[in-house]
Amino acid sequence: ALPLLNSPSIEGDAIKVYVRVRPPSEGTALTDGDQGLCLSVLSSNTIRLHSKPEPKIFTFDYVANMETTQESVFSSVAKNIVESCMNGYNGTIFAYGQTGSGKTFTMMGPSDSDNFTHSLRGVIPRSFEYLFFLIEREKEKAGSAKSFLCKCSFIEIYNEQIFDLLDSASAGLFLREHIKKGVFVDGAVEQVLSSAAEAYQVLTMGWRNRRVASTSMNRESSRSHAVFTITVESMEKNNEIVNIRSSLLNLVDLAGSERQKDTHTEGLRLKEAGNINRSLSCLGQVITALVDVGNGKQRHICYRDSKLTFLLRDSLGGNAKTCIIANVHPGSRCFGETLSTLNFAQRAKLIKNKAVVNEDTQGNVS
Amino acid sequence: MAAAGGGWAAVCEKFRTARTLSAVESRNDPETEPYRSKYSARALLQEVKQLLSAAEEGGEARLLAVRRAVLEYELGVNHTDTEELSAGEEHLQRCTQLLEPHRLSPDCVSLYIQAQNNLGILWSERDEIKTAQTYLESAEALYNQYMKEDGNPPIDPSEHFMAEEEKLTDQERSKRFEKAYTHTLYYLAQVYQHLEMIEKAAQYCHTTLKRQLEYCGYYPVEWALNAATLSQYYLSKQCFMESRHCLAAASVIFSQAGQVPSAEDNETEQDQQDLQQRKAEIARCWIKYCLNLLQSARKLLEDNVGELDPDRQLELKTQRKKEEDEKEKGRKKAVLFGTSDICDSVLAMEEKVSSVYPLDFQEAREIFLVGQNYVQEAKEFFQVDGYVTDHIEIVQDHSALFKVLAFFEEDYERRCKMHKRRVDMLEPIYADLNPQYYLLISRQLQFELADTYYEMMDLKVAIGNRLEELDSHTIKKINSLAQLAIKYYELFLDSLRNPDKVFPEQLEEDVLRPAMVAKFHIARLYGKLITSDSKKQLENMQTSLEYYTFLVDYCEKYPDAVRAVETELELSKEMVGLLPTRMERLRAKLCPFI
Repeated sequence: ALPLLNSPSIEGDAIKVYVRVRPPSEGTALTDGDQGLCLSVLSSNTIRLHSKPEPKIFTFDYVANMETTQESVFSSVAKNIVESCMNGYNGTIFAYGQTGSGKTFTMMGPSDSDNFTHSLRGVIPRSFEYLFFLIEREKEKAGSAKSFLCKCSFIEIYNEQIFDLLDSASAGLFLREHIKKGVFVDGAVEQVLSSAAEAYQVLTMGWRNRRVASTSMNRESSRSHAVFTITVESMEKNNEIVNIRSSLLNLVDLAGSERQKDTHTEGLRLKEAGNINRSLSCLGQVITALVDVGNGKQRHICYRDSKLTFLLRDSLGGNAKTCIIANVHPGSRCFGETLSTLNFAQRAKLIKNKAVVNEDTQGNVS
Repeated sequence: MAAAGGGWAAVCEKFRTARTLSAVESRNDPETEPYRSKYSARALLQEVKQLLSAAEEGGEARLLAVRRAVLEYELGVNHTDTEELSAGEEHLQRCTQLLEPHRLSPDCVSLYIQAQNNLGILWSERDEIKTAQTYLESAEALYNQYMKEDGNPPIDPSEHFMAEEEKLTDQERSKRFEKAYTHTLYYLAQVYQHLEMIEKAAQYCHTTLKRQLEYCGYYPVEWALNAATLSQYYLSKQCFMESRHCLAAASVIFSQAGQVPSAEDNETEQDQQDLQQRKAEIARCWIKYCLNLLQSARKLLEDNVGELDPDRQLELKTQRKKEEDEKEKGRKKAVLFGTSDICDSVLAMEEKVSSVYPLDFQEAREIFLVGQNYVQEAKEFFQVDGYVTDHIEIVQDHSALFKVLAFFEEDYERRCKMHKRRVDMLEPIYADLNPQYYLLISRQLQFELADTYYEMMDLKVAIGNRLEELDSHTIKKINSLAQLAIKYYELFLDSLRNPDKVFPEQLEEDVLRPAMVAKFHIARLYGKLITSDSKKQLENMQTSLEYYTFLVDYCEKYPDAVRAVETELELSKEMVGLLPTRMERLRAKLCPFI
């Protein structure tokens, strides 16, 4: 039910899920009054949705109410992940939610400021700062014995095609796997970073290249998933032994959930066959779902996971820390989308790494 | 009509433009304004609607109603396409209301079914799958009723805004009508899937595929992939005949893909590569077919220690002879794909591999060889460089094929060689693999290698037991195989440690059983190590005891774990009781003077 199939495992922790409620835009709160809100935050980890006839209560790892500051979101969500990244874990932070629920504000900050020193800057710039702060500290501690190399790439997935946001001239790119290095986007630009400011520059430059669409329903809606990846490589010389460690930090801004056509997030929606298109191109997905429910027998499914799932599979399936920030808008008009976002987040909590080991039980116990 | 005169031609023209905008132009809309053409189409449709109401007086009521229904339908689809569901629903509802009295007549039936299809889609977008189901099932019923009572090719909705001379041929009408119904079935397949009526969903998928073939509404590659995937559904239900039929059809239809020139006719290298990949995917489905057939046969044939049971073998062979006469009758007609030509090729394809359980080595080997050929085919595309996961999965299947073939082999030496083949294909891959990115596969390989060495060791022991006396060569062999098995089990257990190298206090559910089995097997392996040095022997027994104790202690602490390892636990308890006494005896022998 989600674009992530495998999740962190070593400590067996499921994906951590944070919910953040944005304040309604100015003006609307006053006119609507409290009755205009479809939810209330009960405590730091529960939220009540005023559904009828029975209200629904959801529990998450953390619920941030409307007053929660950017700094506090960063501390409770990302800090730990950035630290693990320094310790060799892969980390991934997702933002999920309907258009207008505050994903971009949470991840980036106010859209009109290109300034990453802005007091309202979001999780991503703060992660940069913290990462480079930790690197500097490590360097000071270890002196010349330890060195770091940071590189970043920034891609977007639109209509199941991959584009390089750091090289707007590039055509569609492909995912490939390397036996030592895992999944990578073949041909994506990798930029070397030496400071948080530099990282931020790359980010804002790429952000401008994203595909955005406006419809009469939504003023502006991001149609693509954007994945910003930082690779942190450390090299430590201890006598004659060189110890190299490398880890990935993925910062993901998912497409607006109301437009999510990703197979795994679609929920109950039927897949529509185009009117002109003579093929029922999605039939395969239906059959795939049938086979999926099968009883664990050996089988092969011809249709591969979505690009997003595949790209993040490694960082989710191995020693990785993952969290999802589910953004919701409290207005009662957003009830439907809020419910589906919370349901999604609820499902996400259940995801665990299925480290199924082929193991034969017969005949060995004699 | 005559009164409208030239006006009517203009109306038709507008309608036609709206349809083109909506269906063709909209595909080229800029990403920033994805619905530009749809919005223009909508405006045109509204205009047509107004023109119609202006002409209302004097027109024939029924004719007008149908035309208006067409417009409501187009507007309904337009609104749902642009994410305005409520408005879309209103239009579609109005459409069905207008048609209700005439829904069984040839000029309405197709439109009515399509409106219901769209209402089904609309309700599914609201996650109201039950409501969607009612619309779609009623569309299905209407189709059946119409075909029974009338059956003539009905008018296509677009014809209501066409000049007389442009009207479609019967053949074209029938094609479009059947296509609309195919869509109904296809949506129903999804509805049933969402409602977890799996069998019914599979049946509707199957029918959809069948109809695509019948009405030539398919892309060969895509069709083939769908059929191949469906075969995997049948596989999980152990329906080997159906599974094979789907796969054979997939292979036959896929082979057409190369012959039909592609739509654009400028095949790029990428297209070629895609085609190669699809071919490899179908090969992988065949591998699974062979593997499952062999493994299921093994399940039927094995005795309680996992060896081939000759009595059972004889019994099954007699049974099969009896069934063979009835075989043709048993064939389910409903599952057959294609008309004569295709059907013949599919049947010829099926001939190449059996769909009944192999009962002896010779039969098993034939299936194994087919599977192995597909392994080679799949590997041609899924090379390690670029397709690590897929490549390794294929190698794992290859290894599994050898493993199950070995079951049918009676000669222990030859059986051992088959396992050696497995080691030879798995070990180099494991050595290269980076567990930071491929933790799961890496664990699978560790475990499989450990198990293979373990099995080889057991075989060598069995061979040794037939000898008068164990020779030093065999002893060396047994010991080294046991050590290798231990090595890989330990690697697996190490992979469970956290970054500070600490073994988890409580094991995760998904690794619980493998971890416990690994511990148990290591305990047994230390027990099997052969040494003439009594001190060494005592050490081995001590280690063995520690591993057995781990199991017992762990299950005491976490009683939930007992279920996963019942047999192992029982034996471990026994060993924990026995070993100390044995060790005591051995110690006494070592130091007889104390």
